Amino acid sequence: MITAKPNRLQMQLNALALPFKGEAVIKQLKAAARNVFWASAGFALLLVIWQIVAIFSPDLSGPAETLPVLWAMLSHPFYDNGPNDKGIGIQVLFSLGRVFSGWLIGSLIAIPVGMAMGANRKVMQALNPVVQVLRPVSPLAWYPIGLAAYHSAASAVVFAIVITSLWPTLINTMFGVASLPNDYRNVARVFRFSRWQYLTKVLLPYSLPYLLTGLRLSLGIAWMVIVAAEMLAGGTGIGFFVWDSWNALSLPRVISAILIIGLIGLVLDRGLEWLIQRVSYTA
Amino acid sequence: MINNLMPTSATYPNGYLSIRNVVKTFDTPAGQMIALRDINLDVKRGEFISFIGHSGCGKSTLLNIIAGLLPQTGGQVTLDGKPITGPGPDRGVVFQNYSLLPWLSVKDNVFEAVDAVYRIMPYPEKQARVDDFLGKVGLAEHRHKRPNQLSGGMKQRVAIARAFAIHPEVMLLDEPFGALDALTRNSLQEELVQMLAGDNQTETVIMVTHDIDEAIYLSDRIVVMTNGPEATIGEIIEVNIPRPRHKQTLLHTPQWTEIKERLLYLLTEAYFVGRDA
Repeated sequence: MITAKPNRLQMQLNALALPFKGEAVIKQLKAAARNVFWASAGFALLLVIWQIVAIFSPDLSGPAETLPVLWAMLSHPFYDNGPNDKGIGIQVLFSLGRVFSGWLIGSLIAIPVGMAMGANRKVMQALNPVVQVLRPVSPLAWYPIGLAAYHSAASAVVFAIVITSLWPTLINTMFGVASLPNDYRNVARVFRFSRWQYLTKVLLPYSLPYLLTGLRLSLGIAWMVIVAAEMLAGGTGIGFFVWDSWNALSLPRVISAILIIGLIGLVLDRGLEWLIQRVSYTA
Repeated sequence: MINNLMPTSATYPNGYLSIRNVVKTFDTPAGQMIALRDINLDVKRGEFISFIGHSGCGKSTLLNIIAGLLPQTGGQVTLDGKPITGPGPDRGVVFQNYSLLPWLSVKDNVFEAVDAVYRIMPYPEKQARVDDFLGKVGLAEHRHKRPNQLSGGMKQRVAIARAFAIHPEVMLLDEPFGALDALTRNSLQEELVQMLAGDNQTETVIMVTHDIDEAIYLSDRIVVMTNGPEATIGEIIEVNIPRPRHKQTLLHTPQWTEIKERLLYLLTEAYFVGRDA
């Protein structure tokens, strides 16, 4: 469940421990240059394939048509010409706001429930079947329930994100708590740790990497679901932007939005990965 | 020490720590497995007792029962006249695999134990206690390190400091030096003797070991366990060697040789387990 801790940092530290610091820095720079080179090569390949496909299917906009549109969108991200014409930056902020509020609410539910399930066999036995039944349901199926409950499309989107964010965090937290080694539990018992001490000094620190992995997965899925949910909801957000651009028959804007969605998803994921690395420990 | 206030052995007809008819069974898929049976032992206040035996003889299980971490299936264990029903601050434990919390610094590992046991002690006093015990095991300058930055010997020193810092009456050691190299083991054994001599709270020690020399060097009595399953106490050997003991001179005394030969006989012939021993 938990991702292996990359040893990139260790490699960097090892490099720093070499007697010739200058040599180490050069080594690092070379490694970075190689990374950039191959990443550029990958994107270049993508561009080439895209161009070739565009040549053979005239309905698809090619890079030459799309990239200037993307550039224009990114040059003025925050313009606002009324409800149907807003800059991409504004739309992204709307979506991020919904994703983060839904993710936050979902996490606030998932973490305590997951901990209770991981710590108590009866709670686990009672709730696990419920979780297993609800988990495979597409979050969009919950959208009408959200609409019925809140009478607002925007709130229904957040509701769908809450549901989305529940499962990975809940399951990972449960798994983390349940896998607490007996040794640590015995330490808490022998030294008569208070409940609070047990929670904050044993259970939470131990399960934090698991929990954060769940949060990371949740955020990733939430970012995917928001696009679809906003397509349904309309009004604002990156999903609405995609659907609106399609209705305006502007494929370059759709493709640009896809690239932006991907980049933001990457940034969100890397941010949490960084956080996980900071709190993980070596036993 | 206030000897005249200390209960004499007469106060405890069954001993200070009394193990009576203890049985331990485990439920396995193959059915009920009897790990320990008919365990009877009386430990006097201030005694150093070692349990020695082959792997699987249930010596760690017995220690865990005394620690209150495992309930016995039958019989009773009493400490100071009171039945043991769970872990308590009167018993400190040093675990075989150190069991330090890897996300806490050396200092915090000791501090959390002191903090948990002494709820009402003022904060500076707790801090001083922690520093004092880390100093005693020679780890004062390593207190801000995490356990994974320490060697095995240093980790076990932290665990020893943690166990002693709560001033338990009884110290339970579960193969405390088993994972260490011979040199480190030697120096830690001596540090343990010094801790016990210098500490006026902890007097009684129960240690599980599979090291014959360690058992003789440290113990007043050595309890030899028969092989499991259905392990029980095979023989109890008194170690009548006066303290303080010095390892180098000890090796040449007739008592040492006699006890060692007896233990070797018991462990390699009487309770021999065969190929995988």
